[in-house]
Amino acid sequence: MEDKITFIKDGIRLDGRRVDEARPIKVEVGVLARADGSCYLEMGNNKVIAAVYGPREVHPRHLQEVSRAIVRYRYNMASFSVEERRRPGPDRRSYELSKVSREALSPVILTSYFPRSVIDIFVEVLQADAGTRTAGINAASVALADAGIPMKSLISSCAAGKVDDQIVLDPMKEEDNFGQADMPIAMTPGGEITLLQMDGHMTVEESHRAMELAMKGCRDIYNMQRKVLIDRYSQMENATRQEEAVI
Amino acid sequence: MENSIVLPGDVVGSTEEFVAGHDTYVAGGYIYASTTGQVEIDRERRSARVITKSNAPPRLQNGDIVVGEVIDMKESLVILSLAVKKGYESRPISDEEATIHISNVKNSYVKDLRQMFGLRDIVKAKIIDERQLRLFTGDEELGVIKAYCSRCMSDLRLKEGKLECPTCHNSETRKLSRDYGLGVI
Repeated sequence: MEDKITFIKDGIRLDGRRVDEARPIKVEVGVLARADGSCYLEMGNNKVIAAVYGPREVHPRHLQEVSRAIVRYRYNMASFSVEERRRPGPDRRSYELSKVSREALSPVILTSYFPRSVIDIFVEVLQADAGTRTAGINAASVALADAGIPMKSLISSCAAGKVDDQIVLDPMKEEDNFGQADMPIAMTPGGEITLLQMDGHMTVEESHRAMELAMKGCRDIYNMQRKVLIDRYSQMENATRQEEAVI
Repeated sequence: MENSIVLPGDVVGSTEEFVAGHDTYVAGGYIYASTTGQVEIDRERRSARVITKSNAPPRLQNGDIVVGEVIDMKESLVILSLAVKKGYESRPISDEEATIHISNVKNSYVKDLRQMFGLRDIVKAKIIDERQLRLFTGDEELGVIKAYCSRCMSDLRLKEGKLECPTCHNSETRKLSRDYGLGVI
């Protein structure tokens, strides 16, 4: 057996980050012309694209609810998103991630405004590097806002992990695969948690610390989401103003 | 606060100050925005609302032109399943039903509603009651924009101001829109 890998040396991680530092994030809104709302998001080496359609008619018909819209979320990984080619199509993991991601977003969507309809969210993972579910939720939340779907608030999502007995923010692939624990969360800017998962081993104190760190990550991501949406809105406003000026 | 850009979850005002308008919701005494947009405060009605950006799902209001399909006909009522609002063609309306009363079909007296509409006709109409979704087709550009033959279900063609079936030569009457058969809304 080879020697145990050291993940953290003098407080610096393998990719040069500090323990409480998240990976760089890039967000773009309205990248798809056919979707009602869309978002492209990069979190480090994760690349995801989210598309929102709706509210629209429910097919198959028996799924519709008379008093509210239903929310469907499809998480899908591209076959080229991981090192070894992934067999295309849904599997047990992507069913689970679709379910938990849908449940992370649906509490903030005001579904009662659109009875008998569906809001479809599609998330495609183009490149994966641990933390694709959190990246997917962040992108989907921005895409929902871009589609103009009424919501109580945005949702931000981030993970904390445990490597070398230390709690780290936003673990990348190496830390996720060979680390001791991983805890993704999603929350509203007000601090209400809508997703909480964990695998691995953590003490009670460690899980508290991980929770705090992940919440800090979520708040930073929320500020990013906020900034791109406001920029996009200002751009659209300027465009309409210019159009009016031409007329 | 007024005219500032807000995102879902941002505080727009408090319920002590204002009445919550469109695209807001109330929780714990505060009014929050539910969509991205600009805050507008109506000082006379003391209401606060959010003006959404252009591509939000359409809201049906009085005076809007909508297009729908006739799904049922009663003695004095036509029931439409709405499909789209004019100007919002990229965001279809999902499963809304609206009605046209016999008194709102034309500006003149209508004796028999079956002379005005047929099942599966595509109708362009104006909303006159946004709450109960009642429609009006009296204007020149409003009315049936596509109709099917009641005998053989083929498309009816407009010939010298009358509808004729090209297959079985059956002729029918409708409350026609100026834009019949043009495919424009």
